[in-house]
Amino acid sequence: MNELGKKLCDIAFDKQKADYLLAMREESGNVAPVFISKGEDIGEANIDYPYQLVTILSRIYPWLNKGKIAIVARRCDEKALNETIKRGLFDGNRIAVIGLACSKEQIKKCRCNDPVPTKVDIGEPNNGVNTDELMNKLQRISPEERMDFWVRQFKKCNKCFACTTNCPVCFCEDCVLEERTFVAEKGIPPGLSFHMIRTFHLADKCIECGECERSCPVDIPLLTLRKMALKDIKDLYNFKPGDRETASPMLTTLEGELLEDDTHVC
Amino acid sequence: MSVKHVLTTCPYCGCGCNFYLQVVDNRLVGVVPCKTDEIGQGRLCIKGYNAYAFVQNPDRLTHPMVRDGHQLRKATWDEALDRIVSEIKKIVSKHGPDSVVVFASARCTNEENYLMQKFARAAIGTNNVDHCARLCHASTVAGLVYSFGSGAMTNSIPEFENADCILVTGSNTLETHPLIGARIVKALYSGAKVIVVDPRETPLSRLAQLSLHQKPGTDIAWIHGIANVIISEDLVDKEFVATKTKHFEELKKVVAEYTPEKVEKLTGIPKEKLMEVARVYAKSKKSMIAYAMGITQHSNGTAIVKSLANLSMLTGHIGKESTGVNPLRGQNNVQGACDAGSLPNFYPGYQLVANGDMKAKFEKAWGQTLSDKPGLTITEAIEKAATGEIKAVITFGENMMISDPDITHVEKALSNLEFFAVADIFPTETSKFAHVVLPAACYAEKDGTFTNTDRKVRRVRKAVDGPGEALPDWEIVCELGRRYGAQGFDFNSVSDIMDEFASVAPAYGGISFDRLEKEMLTWPCPSKDHAGTRILHVGGFKIGKGQFAPVSHEPPAEEPSEDYPMILTTGRNLFQYHTGTMTRRTPKLERESPEPYVEIHKADAKPLGVEDGDRVRISSRRGSITLAARVTDRITEGVIFVPFHYAEAAANMLTNPVLDPIAKIPELKVCAARVEKA
Repeated sequence: MNELGKKLCDIAFDKQKADYLLAMREESGNVAPVFISKGEDIGEANIDYPYQLVTILSRIYPWLNKGKIAIVARRCDEKALNETIKRGLFDGNRIAVIGLACSKEQIKKCRCNDPVPTKVDIGEPNNGVNTDELMNKLQRISPEERMDFWVRQFKKCNKCFACTTNCPVCFCEDCVLEERTFVAEKGIPPGLSFHMIRTFHLADKCIECGECERSCPVDIPLLTLRKMALKDIKDLYNFKPGDRETASPMLTTLEGELLEDDTHVC
Repeated sequence: MSVKHVLTTCPYCGCGCNFYLQVVDNRLVGVVPCKTDEIGQGRLCIKGYNAYAFVQNPDRLTHPMVRDGHQLRKATWDEALDRIVSEIKKIVSKHGPDSVVVFASARCTNEENYLMQKFARAAIGTNNVDHCARLCHASTVAGLVYSFGSGAMTNSIPEFENADCILVTGSNTLETHPLIGARIVKALYSGAKVIVVDPRETPLSRLAQLSLHQKPGTDIAWIHGIANVIISEDLVDKEFVATKTKHFEELKKVVAEYTPEKVEKLTGIPKEKLMEVARVYAKSKKSMIAYAMGITQHSNGTAIVKSLANLSMLTGHIGKESTGVNPLRGQNNVQGACDAGSLPNFYPGYQLVANGDMKAKFEKAWGQTLSDKPGLTITEAIEKAATGEIKAVITFGENMMISDPDITHVEKALSNLEFFAVADIFPTETSKFAHVVLPAACYAEKDGTFTNTDRKVRRVRKAVDGPGEALPDWEIVCELGRRYGAQGFDFNSVSDIMDEFASVAPAYGGISFDRLEKEMLTWPCPSKDHAGTRILHVGGFKIGKGQFAPVSHEPPAEEPSEDYPMILTTGRNLFQYHTGTMTRRTPKLERESPEPYVEIHKADAKPLGVEDGDRVRISSRRGSITLAARVTDRITEGVIFVPFHYAEAAANMLTNPVLDPIAKIPELKVCAARVEKA
C-alpha cells in the first residue's frame, strides 16, 4: 500500500466510517478502478487518470443492499452524485465523498471553471478556467456555419454509445436513443437526432465531467456541445445542475413553482 | 460481497482493446474501458461495451452431451472425453491418423491453440489442423511471406494517426475494426489523405477525400494500374527498389499493360481518379495501406495481396513509421492462432512442417515422432469429408454451418462423418451434427493470451466462473491428450503452456506471463531482454530482398450470366459479429441490426419492382435465401451485399467454395446471383 492508499483508507474507513471504498490503483502496468471492503489492501492507489467513478458505482450499487460507500470524487463527480441522489437513485446517507482537487493540467483539458470540491481531501486546489476556446469560436460564427461544424463532427459518429454508457447522469431505464421512432437503427452514422436528443436531454443534468468527450473514439468535442446547452439553460432559467436540492426548471409549473414530489422524476 | 474490476482483452475483432469487466459476486455487471491502454485509449466500440452481456446467457452449454441414436443426452466429462478418445483411436487404427482433422479456433487463446495443434500432431499424429484464418487471411500469410518474409501486419495501430496518406481497400474499417477506423478518421480530420477503394460506400469512404468503387473481382487490375502510373510518372523510390528488392524488371513488364485506360474498362474506376490515387499514395511522406477480407477472400487472394505489397516496395513505403502493408485481422486471436501453429503446413512460429530440420526440432521438443506430410486446410477437409476420405473431426468453437461457403455442401460433409465432436460456448447450427458436445468456458471465464492484429500479445484474465460444468478449452485438450496416452499434456497453468510455446517459437522466445504483467510486448520478441518489435522490416527484409510479384489479373471464378446477372458480395456489419452466437444474444446489438438484409442499388431494384423493405429471394447456383431488401445508392450497380451473420438467411448458402490455389481461401467476396421479389 502506498502513502496515497493509506490516506484514502484512513479517510474512508476511519474518518468517514465507510464500509467500502471506490478509488483507482496501479495494477498490471495499468491504472484500474478498484472497489474494496474495509480491511482489504488497496495496493498502489493512483489518481492520475479520470475514471468516471460515479458511473462505475451506478452498476455496482443495485447489488449492494447495505453499507456506506466512500468514493473518490472530483467537484464534477460530487455534482453528479447530487443529481443521482436528488433522483433517489443513490441513498445519500450511504455515500461518503473523498474530495479530490483536480490538477492544473486536468482543469485545462476540461475547460473547467468549478474544479474544487466542497472539502479537499486529496490534491491542491487550483483555480478554474473560464473559457472554452472552441465555444467562443462557435458563438462568433453564424448559425449556418455552426450547424456545418457540428454536422461535420457528427458524421464521424460510430454509434458506440460511449457518451451515454459512460455518462454519470444518463439515468433513463429505457434510452430514447435506442428507440427507432427517434433514431433509425439502420447503420451509421446515426442522424442528427441522436446527438440533438442527447444534448437537450442532458441540458438540465450535465455536470461537465467531460467523460463523453474523453471516451469518444473519434474526438467529437462533446463537452463543448454540453457547455453550450448549459449556457442556454443558465441564460434562460438561471439554473445550473449539480446541487442536491434545486429541481430542474424543466420540472416546474408554468408559474415557476415546484411540483409536489417531482424531485424524483428524471 | 465481492466487487472486482478484471482487466482483459475484448473477444471481438483484432484491434485487441483492453477493458475491465465489472464483477459483483460472480455476476458480470458492466464493462469499463481501460484508460491507460495504448490500443483502446479508454475507448471502445458498441460491441466492446456490450461484451459482458452474452456471457451469462441461459443458453450457454453447461454440461457435456453424447449422442445416443438421434438424441444428444447429458453425460459426464469422463464419458464424453472417453467417447472422443476411443472413437478417434478406432478410426486412426482403421484408416490412419490422416483420416482425422482438428479444427482449432481464432476465438481461443494462444495457449489453447498451441495445445490443439500439439494434440493433432503429437497425439493423433497428423498435420490436419487448421482454423478459420483459412476463411479470412490465409492469402495474407501466403502473400506477405512471399513478398516480405513475414505474413503479419507490418506496422502498429497507433501509427495510423500520424500517417499522411492511408489507402484502405476491402475493409469497412469503421464497422469491422472500429478503433482502427477511429484512428484513421482522426488522421483524416487532421489533414491526412484517406483513400478508400471498395465496391460499396462505407462509413469511412463517405468521409474520405477519395472514394473509388471497383467492380468486385478486379483488384489486381486497379492495383497494377496504380503501379503503372507510379512507374510511368517516375514516382518510384529508386534507391529502395535497387537496394532492398528484386524482380522489379519483371513487375515493370507486367504492369506496363495495365494502363489507366485499360484499368478503367476492367474495373469501372475513372482513369483520372486512379492517377490521382497513385500520385497521392506515392508522393506522401508517410503512406500506409490497410486492407481486409475484400482483398483476401478471392480465388486469387494471394496474388492480390502480393500486388498490394508491390505498391509499398515501389514507393519505399515500408519499414518506416506510419507506412507498410497492414492486413486488419478480423478476430480477437486469429493472429495468435496462426502464430501458435494451428495451420496444416506450419509448426508454431511459422516453421515449415515440410522442412526436415523443423520436424526434428519439434520431435525432440515433444518427444514424439511426427508426420512430415503437410495437412489439410479447413476447406479441403470439408471437401474430403463429403467424399468420405476424412472420417472424424474435432472442432473447437467453429460454426462452419454459417461461416463456410456453400452450406448445403458443408451439411453433406458433416453428416457424412463417422465421428464429429464439438466444443463450444453455445449450441450452434454446427453442434447439431455432433456425436459429442463439450461445454467450453468463454473469454471471461479463463486465463490466457490473445495476439491482436498488430502482433501485441495481450492478457485474457478470468473474471467469473464458467456456467455449470464448462471448462476452458486448454483443460479440455490436456484431458484429451492424457487420455489419448500422449505425453506433454500435463499442464497446471496457462503460463506453463506459454513457456513451452515460447521455447519452440523464436518470435515468442522472450514472451512470458511475468513480463506481460508489467509491459506490452509485440512479437517478434526473441529473448527475455528484447523489448519487442513495433515495426517490421526496418532497414531491410530479413529474407534478404523483398520480392516484387508479377501477377496478372484473372476474372473471378463466377461472372454474371443471364440466369444470375448480379454479383453477390458478403461481409460483416458493426453490430453483429460473425455467426452471431454471441452478438445475437446481446440485446443492445440485436436491437441495432435484428434481421438479415440485402443491400441493392436503386437502379437494380426498380426494374424488379423491389422497394425498400420488400422481401426478396436471392439465388445462386448453390441455393436460395429470402430476406428484406435495403434499397440504396451506397453500392455499385450490379452488385448486392448480404451480411453473413444471420442463420435464418445465411449468406453462405449462396457463396462459391472455389479456392485460391495457394492459400485455399474460398471466394466469399464474389459469386453470381439473382434477385427476385419474394
